[in-house]
Amino acid sequence: MEKIGLYLGCLIPTEQYAYELAIREVLPELGTELVDIEGPACCGAPLRHINLSLTMYLSARNIALFEKEGLDILAPCPYCHQAISEAKDVLDKNPTLKEKVNSYLKEEGLEYKGKVKHYHLLDLLHDEIGTEVIKEHIKEPLEGLNIAAHYGCHLIRPNDIPRPDDSENPQKLETLLKTIGAESDYYNEKLDCCGAHILLNEQESALTKTGQKLEAVQNHGFDGMTTMCPWGQRMFDTKQDSAGQTVGASLNIPVIYYIQLLGLAMGKEPEALGLHLNKSPVDKLGSKEED
Amino acid sequence: MSIIDLTSMAEPEGEAQKKINDIIKGLQEDIPHDCYQCGKCTSGCEAFILTELEPHKVMALSKSGFIDELLNSGEIWTCVTCLKCKERCPQDLAPVDVIFAVKNIAVSSGKQIDSGYSNMLQAVLGTGFIQSPKEVVDRENNAVTRDDMGLPKIKGPEEMPKLQQVLMKAATETLR
Repeated sequence: MEKIGLYLGCLIPTEQYAYELAIREVLPELGTELVDIEGPACCGAPLRHINLSLTMYLSARNIALFEKEGLDILAPCPYCHQAISEAKDVLDKNPTLKEKVNSYLKEEGLEYKGKVKHYHLLDLLHDEIGTEVIKEHIKEPLEGLNIAAHYGCHLIRPNDIPRPDDSENPQKLETLLKTIGAESDYYNEKLDCCGAHILLNEQESALTKTGQKLEAVQNHGFDGMTTMCPWGQRMFDTKQDSAGQTVGASLNIPVIYYIQLLGLAMGKEPEALGLHLNKSPVDKLGSKEED
Repeated sequence: MSIIDLTSMAEPEGEAQKKINDIIKGLQEDIPHDCYQCGKCTSGCEAFILTELEPHKVMALSKSGFIDELLNSGEIWTCVTCLKCKERCPQDLAPVDVIFAVKNIAVSSGKQIDSGYSNMLQAVLGTGFIQSPKEVVDRENNAVTRDDMGLPKIKGPEEMPKLQQVLMKAATETLR
């Protein structure tokens, strides 16, 4: 993949800066040029609670903007990726609806054709760039680390629309971890939700979900947890302290974006990968590695 | 939202099923008809243990047209949208989408919703995004912004009033 349009959505460019920094630092070196375009807005997924038509319009609009530039889309947020997948699935199967959505898009000078492809980091790294190419770039393999994989609900479900990995037994993230020298044990809570989507109105329940999963990861003896989702990272990393307080556990587990781990294994400077922005004790990963 | 409420006071609303089906068409077949109450959705529900959300009851109430029961219960707002119910339903139904539809009906019928959701809508209508770039703190408690880290300026929608206008119109339609 030589060139791809970067669609960051809302959460990454407004607060999950580490994810964006690491993506911009790592992908070009693996041969994928990232292109920023003008005009994309929210993917619409957070507005599903209010009005499903808004979600459809916003996603169709974002796809149309990238189509205008002739660019495939990289959506590193599973929530955005799923909204795009769903919009494409529904619109491509229903010409009447496509016409209707296009009548609205026309007012903004846009048209949805459904011709461009879209990727998340998981399939971009695993299926397009490939583990062989990744291996060629590894300078400091993360040997001795056992990292828990957290995919993010919207990345793997629902399977009636195309998702980057299997919904009940996803393995690509584990394969990517092994590619950079780490281990990744199975754990029973692997598919558990982070709780992010009720943080707005049910804070305690949301943080309980976060805390329970982190506690399970810690008790399993993992050295850390890796994510591919800005919402999950926000809960497990940024809010780890409050999650620990909520479930009455002393949590002290490094949580790191996979793309940051990959950057470290490629010999990148931690600051260039935004590691100073992780709130969990990611320094522990380095010290464990040297043991 | 219990059986007792159903037998004692609520009246089924004939239009309820149609309303829900209208909103989710394109996402699945007509909803509640095919639900045989196996409870698989509830057994895997991530919210159930914590908040007592029971997706199979949402399906049963929708099927019987007791939509007011749902609109007035806070439970529909505790769904974590993990999508496991949609994934695992043996009848290929999607309780999560029915829950979204009921929330949409609650909003359009003027029910009070958590201000977090209305703020998010206002933000998208105003800027195109659910929030504006924040100043964050690093592990050493230094405040940092996008600019500080050399990240490029966000190039959002150029003509926000135009987008806002189209969104307001789209919201009254069923784009499914």
